[in-house]
Amino acid sequence: MGVLENKARARLFYKYLSTVYDRINPFIWNERMREEALELLELEPDSTVLDVGCGTGFATEGLLEHVDEVYALDQSEHQLEQAYAKFGKRAPPVQFHRGDAERLPFATDTFDVVWSSGSIEYWPNPILALREFRRVLKPGGQVLVVGPNYPDNPIAQRLADAMMLFYDEYEADRMFKRAGFEDVRHAFMGPEYEPEVAITTIGRAPE
Amino acid sequence: MKESLLEILCCPLDKHDLELEDAEYEDDEVVGGTLVCTECGERYPIEDGIPNLLPPDMREESPA
Repeated sequence: MGVLENKARARLFYKYLSTVYDRINPFIWNERMREEALELLELEPDSTVLDVGCGTGFATEGLLEHVDEVYALDQSEHQLEQAYAKFGKRAPPVQFHRGDAERLPFATDTFDVVWSSGSIEYWPNPILALREFRRVLKPGGQVLVVGPNYPDNPIAQRLADAMMLFYDEYEADRMFKRAGFEDVRHAFMGPEYEPEVAITTIGRAPE
Repeated sequence: MKESLLEILCCPLDKHDLELEDAEYEDDEVVGGTLVCTECGERYPIEDGIPNLLPPDMREESPA
């Protein structure tokens, strides 16, 4: 159990981080990485897309280059305030919700795509959340999750273990398959100086 | 939120349908009111048009 794998602590952490988050964010998750991830999805302008853990709306902004409307959910009102400032509080283009990734407030078989970037590392039980993603996806719908790749360096590993959930492609494979996804694949992304800092996993809900 | 959103929302706890109570409208937006689970009765507030569907154990300490 890492320090931030506790939702109350994550909420407090983000309360203070949200003011500078978009300035820090590009170092670990930038527009080029976002574009690479978006290319893995089959998006049509009228696709029904959910962004779980939308935070300040960095991924939401990328999704809106491909679709007309995004359903966005986050637990932190402080993070959401930044997103409201970008897109406005009223849909379209974004319908905002406060909610929990592990207990989604959406009906079964609702979305064509469920996206989540930079959020899985804070979920106490990632498989529970991934099962929820599968439930709200239409049969054959796509899931895409971006998380922090487990580092190779032992010192970085110790830091990673103490802070939050990190995982490698074997662990990701196990989690997504246990959650019931098919066609599970992984891609590594990162800036030039650290090209494998993020792991992106895509999969499909069974038909 | 648009009232049509109710078609895809559900109770995060037991996944049953939600009913809108005490709705306040601004143009065609629902800006206030409460979403109530038709099964367990749990209540979820709509705060300035944003449905707060956090389960009760994750909601911020409400003022006493």
